[in-house]
Amino acid sequence: MKALWTALAILGALVVQSALSASLPSQGRILDPFLLVVVYCGLTGGEIHGMLAGVAAGWVQDIHFGGPVAGLSALTKLLLGFGVGVAGTRFFIQGTAPRLLTLFTAAAVDAALFERLAMTFDVPTSSLSPLGILARASINALVGVAAFELVDLRRRRQEARP
Amino acid sequence: MARVIDTRRSRLLLAALVVSHLVVIGHQVDGGEGLSLLQRVVFKLLSPVQRVVAAVAHGVGQAWSSYLDLRGVREDNRRLAERVAGLEGQVQYEQQRVLEAERLRELLELRQVLPIATIAAEVVGRDGLPWFRTLTLDKGREDGIALDAAVLSATGIVGRVVAVGPRAARVQLLLDRDSGVAAILERNRVAGVVCGQVGYADQGKPDLVMKYVSSLADVAVGDRVLSSGLDRIYPKGLVIGRVRSVGAGAGLFREVLVTPSAGFDRLEEVLVVRDPPEQPVLTETIR
Repeated sequence: MKALWTALAILGALVVQSALSASLPSQGRILDPFLLVVVYCGLTGGEIHGMLAGVAAGWVQDIHFGGPVAGLSALTKLLLGFGVGVAGTRFFIQGTAPRLLTLFTAAAVDAALFERLAMTFDVPTSSLSPLGILARASINALVGVAAFELVDLRRRRQEARP
Repeated sequence: MARVIDTRRSRLLLAALVVSHLVVIGHQVDGGEGLSLLQRVVFKLLSPVQRVVAAVAHGVGQAWSSYLDLRGVREDNRRLAERVAGLEGQVQYEQQRVLEAERLRELLELRQVLPIATIAAEVVGRDGLPWFRTLTLDKGREDGIALDAAVLSATGIVGRVVAVGPRAARVQLLLDRDSGVAAILERNRVAGVVCGQVGYADQGKPDLVMKYVSSLADVAVGDRVLSSGLDRIYPKGLVIGRVRSVGAGAGLFREVLVTPSAGFDRLEEVLVVRDPPEQPVLTETIR
């Protein structure tokens, strides 16, 4: 069941990313819905779930929106899902502020890690400035917190039903 | 406990996924020189192993090849040693043939010079003692050899036939104490009788002794001694030997020692006189 919901979430992220890329080509890279799925899976399902969700989401992102080398996003999201999963099992990350901090950090690390890997493998990519990373992290954190709250609200309602 | 296992499993999974992603990415990235990054990394990682394996394989190959070469060399060595031994035997055989041809040539020359008929015979036996007195020849009565026939070598008189069979003959050598040859000195025709000194118990000396030489006769060391033909056994003019020493002797005669010309211990082929000199027949006597 968890895998099904994860697949559906990745599919939703694909739809959102496609829509953003089509409507706002220049700002499309600022928001990363796949990142939000990976962080959520890591926080709620642990490191294994986070890793697998990261690999799946990363490959979808690579295939649809990646550059000349496939696998960079997958590797980035894999490491990110693992890290978030480890953090989620070690620390109590519930509530808006911790999630905001986690999403902010994850988005910044994602951008930095991707650039670093691209540089390592000598893959040409447009690098973000520190300000761009900051803006990306902030937007992803805000949107992510909102999305997580919506998902949690829905889950709570489902659990509350007799 | 379950948490520990989960952590270990998750780390193993992480490592496997990271490695597989690195492989996939490395396979796509150009590593230069027509190789992908993955190929280049793998090549770089495995090349030392390949070098080691190649070195070991080369060493083993070399050792094996050396071993095979060594075996070949050993086999060649054995074959060559056998060939050398065979060739040495052949050379010795050929040398013997040359020596034999030389001896036969000398005998043939003698035979052509002699005014008498002779038979060539091969020495097939002799006394196995230091100073032997007899020889055995491979020719006998059926070959025309008769008793008392003179036996010659290329270098001088050997002796006379004292026993004859159908296909063999025994020769009494001049060395025998019981032998005797009527002799003269070539230089001044001083006459005497040459005898051997070797007795039945193989005692005596290898020199011959010339008896009945007058103490007044002129005999010098080195004088050549020839057969005089007066004994009616040995043809006249054959070489017997050379004077080795001349002593005062006792009584009326000198003591003359003669070194025989014939090498008795080296004889292999001889000539046997077929027709001995005819005995003179006296038909009248003075009463």
